[in-house]
Amino acid sequence: MSILRTATGVFALTFGIVCTAAEPTLEEKLQILQQEIDNIKAQLAKSPPQQPTQPANAPAAGANAGATPTVSNTTVGGYGEFTYNKYRNTDVNNNQADLRRFVLFFGHRFNDSIRFYSELEFEHAVVSSGDRGEAELEQAFIDYRINDAANFKAGLFLIPLGILNETHEPPTYYGVERNFVETRIIPSTWREGGLQLYGEFAQGLKYNIGVSTGFDSGKFDDPAFAIRSAHQELQLANANDLSVHGALNYRAPGILAGAGVFTGNTGQNGASNAALKGVSGRLTLWDVHAKYFRGNWDLQALYARGTLGDAAQITNALIASSGNPNLVAPKVFDGWYTQAAYHVWKKGDMSLTPFIRYERFNTQQEVAEGFTADPLNNERVITAGMTFRLHPQVVLKADYQKFRTDSTKDRFNLGLGYMF
Amino acid sequence: MPKLSDWVLISFLTLSAHAVALEQIYQDPEVFISDAFGTRPQPKVLWLTSPAQAEIARILGHPPTQLRQRYWADGIKSVWILEEIGKEEPITAGFVIANGRIDHARVLVYRESRGSEVRYPSFLRQFKDATLTSDAQLSRAIDGISGATLSVSALERLARVALYLDRLSRRQ
Repeated sequence: MSILRTATGVFALTFGIVCTAAEPTLEEKLQILQQEIDNIKAQLAKSPPQQPTQPANAPAAGANAGATPTVSNTTVGGYGEFTYNKYRNTDVNNNQADLRRFVLFFGHRFNDSIRFYSELEFEHAVVSSGDRGEAELEQAFIDYRINDAANFKAGLFLIPLGILNETHEPPTYYGVERNFVETRIIPSTWREGGLQLYGEFAQGLKYNIGVSTGFDSGKFDDPAFAIRSAHQELQLANANDLSVHGALNYRAPGILAGAGVFTGNTGQNGASNAALKGVSGRLTLWDVHAKYFRGNWDLQALYARGTLGDAAQITNALIASSGNPNLVAPKVFDGWYTQAAYHVWKKGDMSLTPFIRYERFNTQQEVAEGFTADPLNNERVITAGMTFRLHPQVVLKADYQKFRTDSTKDRFNLGLGYMF
Repeated sequence: MPKLSDWVLISFLTLSAHAVALEQIYQDPEVFISDAFGTRPQPKVLWLTSPAQAEIARILGHPPTQLRQRYWADGIKSVWILEEIGKEEPITAGFVIANGRIDHARVLVYRESRGSEVRYPSFLRQFKDATLTSDAQLSRAIDGISGATLSVSALERLARVALYLDRLSRRQ
């Protein structure tokens, strides 16, 4: 019955519209109408009858009849990357091929204002107790839209620091590997549980301000990654100390300029290391960044710096509990990079873009008095390579990385990435 | 004495209690059409034959779901209201084509969670005077917006479809 109504509606609509211009033949029109009816029948078969297939605020039917794919209230997206790392020195390092990431986005629109977003990530292909793979939720939050000036998100969301942390799909950055500054100084992909207000002050000027869970310095276990190992990822996160964050970004065609800051205590009332009870261990991490991408040029630079209070007490507590004298927490850690890319060839959706990046970072720029920083944590890396874009959302990458401090890490990388 | 994080939390809860939801409609499509012509001409319809569907599918990367495209035209000028998904949600955009060139473009409704900067005139101005090349590309490069890659790409595709449909409407 509903199919009959649909067919009648299509027939009525067809003859209700004023047709001009030289028309296709009657036979072609009938074929087109049949195709439309088939499409509608297929849509009806796919959609539960009570679920609208168009947003409530879509323009009136017919006004926008054109190239609109069917829209469901529940959406699926994703990205992923395959990598191959070949080291110059295979006595120290093992060449590896890896399904580095397989990520699925699930979203749901409850109404025009309330939406749910999530990002489920699998790393290294196999997840089991005997393998190194991981399954993790990188985002899961409710977004409450009010207007352009003020909106809320609550749940597990990405912290708006740097360029990469919020936009980390492989086709959006150069290099097979994500840059070191935004993985070791800014611990991308960095997420916290909390509440955030965001919106626009003026044309292109966006702000974020929020309160969230923070780091737990009692969980620190790897000085080579600065504060990264102390992040909690909302996995039974100790929340005796909350943190606050803020970011300001200006976006215009071909331009991005911005800065962000995150600060909060990390002692967590000694929840994971009793020796830290009563220790503040305030962490403050900030960054400034800029991007210029007009015409064929794509230029980018970023500086990030973190400070950790009570570094001596934290280090003493960590060494006492682990027995590892090298577990030295940083007092200051920082890094910067600059990157240039140039689109040498474009045809349709395809392009070829060589790039070069120089980065310098030190995950133990300063340590507390009486402790010694590992000189290998002060590194400079040159990455030079190429991105071949097969499609705006599918890339092949190749590059070479030269490590100035620890040359045993020098390597050639190949990658294949996608997003949808 | 409450800590800074406590104050931020209290402020959020107070603000959210007063929040009023609004839709992100930047211009009513009917108004866009009227503005383009001064008055609102009768709508016309373009039948998308198989070759036309194939060409649109080549531009969009997926076939069109509607096979009769409504549009408005008067002399050298035509108006097209089109939709395309950026990442998850459809973006509704209007294009005014004059003499086979984009006269102006406007984002009418934006529903995506990120990338709404594509609605600003500084971005949309780049489409002015763009034509369609023989391989169905825009005749001029469009600079993107950081963090809005998929929305930028969706609008570029829609601009190409609008130019193609305008060309098709004049050929028929």
